[in-house]
Amino acid sequence: MNGESMKRIHPLILALLLTGSLLLVASAAGGTTTSAVPDPTAQMQPFVARITNLLQNEDFRNDPRCERCQQIIDIAKEHFDFREMSKRVLGRQWRKLSPEEKDRFVTLFTRLLQYAYIGKIKDYAGQQVEFTGQRIKGKRAEVKTLLVDRDKTIPVSYIMLLKGDQWMTYDVVVEGVSLVRNYMEQFREILRKEKYAGLVKRLEEKIHQLEQEKMQEMAKPSRAG
Amino acid sequence: MQIMARTSAVPAFLACLVLLALVLFNAGLVHAAEGGDVDFLSDDFYEEEPETISVYDPLEPMNRAIFTFNDRAYFWVLKPVAKGYAYVLPWEIRGCVNNFFNNLQEPVRFVNCLLQARFSDAGRVLARFLINSTGGVFGLADPATRDLDIPPVEASLGETLGRWGVGDGFYLVMPLFGSTTLRDFSGTVVDALAMTPYYSWSDDFVVNAGIYAEKEVNKISLHLGEYEDLKELSFDPYVSLRNAYFQYRRRMRDEDVFFEGE
Repeated sequence: MNGESMKRIHPLILALLLTGSLLLVASAAGGTTTSAVPDPTAQMQPFVARITNLLQNEDFRNDPRCERCQQIIDIAKEHFDFREMSKRVLGRQWRKLSPEEKDRFVTLFTRLLQYAYIGKIKDYAGQQVEFTGQRIKGKRAEVKTLLVDRDKTIPVSYIMLLKGDQWMTYDVVVEGVSLVRNYMEQFREILRKEKYAGLVKRLEEKIHQLEQEKMQEMAKPSRAG
Repeated sequence: MQIMARTSAVPAFLACLVLLALVLFNAGLVHAAEGGDVDFLSDDFYEEEPETISVYDPLEPMNRAIFTFNDRAYFWVLKPVAKGYAYVLPWEIRGCVNNFFNNLQEPVRFVNCLLQARFSDAGRVLARFLINSTGGVFGLADPATRDLDIPPVEASLGETLGRWGVGDGFYLVMPLFGSTTLRDFSGTVVDALAMTPYYSWSDDFVVNAGIYAEKEVNKISLHLGEYEDLKELSFDPYVSLRNAYFQYRRRMRDEDVFFEGE
């Protein structure tokens, strides 16, 4: 690129910069907020703050038995609707289940998610959560956040349903990948091949496997020590 | 011209034509469910009656075999190498290497934006390329994103073909490359060939393979642990990754539409 063509292109870049930023402003202003319903972001912020505070606590992270993990689970239960999640993850199968089976499935699926994410506590290294926007559509809302890590930024969206005056999360979308949809497709194939009983068995096995891994992790000397 | 001088480019070009012909032929036969926009707040999104598999995957047995191969290659070779690499090089440098290779691809993205009639995106790509090649010192840094707020734009030939109405064909897992579809992989091959003038630092296959390996290892070093997480939490890693691939790709492409439209 020689100097002359650079000069010719320069106003073009400026114009592009301008239109680009105008587009961004326009799309930010387009976000809807209705005053009648509680603000989903305002409800999510203190929740995230409580969790990150807990995670930043040294005693908490170095506690190999994670005795206070229950604390996190309890806080999560105030903001996550595991029943709604289970219902969506099963799709059509859900309606065929008896109330007892439904309860059993919700318990299993909740435990699976707990093991999956509690196991990640040790990896927490001060990542911050930025709230970047929200969308409300009737009783549903999406709260958009960015998980800011040292060398990358991961977009995470929380999909929520308004229950009473509390927004409850029923799906988490990481980099555009919906957790519910991902499990749904896996479960669908298991349901087709092994029926519902097979799915329950697979869930129990997976939970058992994650439990074993956690026990082994606990047996190992703590990384910090 | 440089490309014409290379004898190796001719068979590669023919191979491309064959691939493209296959894709275009296929387009009339298969319609991938690419459908409307993703809306997480719509209940249609969690459709309750999905009797058919959402992804056309007729080569599943072969794909699964290659998936297993890739899995082993990752755990036995790529991951240890990338770990050592990450140990030696701080993440700042690895980030620069990533930026550098990314910047080299901007001209290809520019052409694809034009082919897709995404003119403001094309301008954005061009601006990024000019800013990062100069202010970013040969693309090692990314001041376009950091200082000027021009985020990266994605555009590939696979996407272009998609806009032109060419269906995905079917899901493919390629050795050491991963998830793709017949259409997208053909696009990738052509995109890569369009890059050959760049890679004429050397005509030596070993050197070029080395450059490719460096690019891939560097990429893996920035994403260590992500595949492990996905695998640990899934019941069928093959299905989970296939689903994640399609969801992720859809987001990438819808988001571009979003910026274009609003």
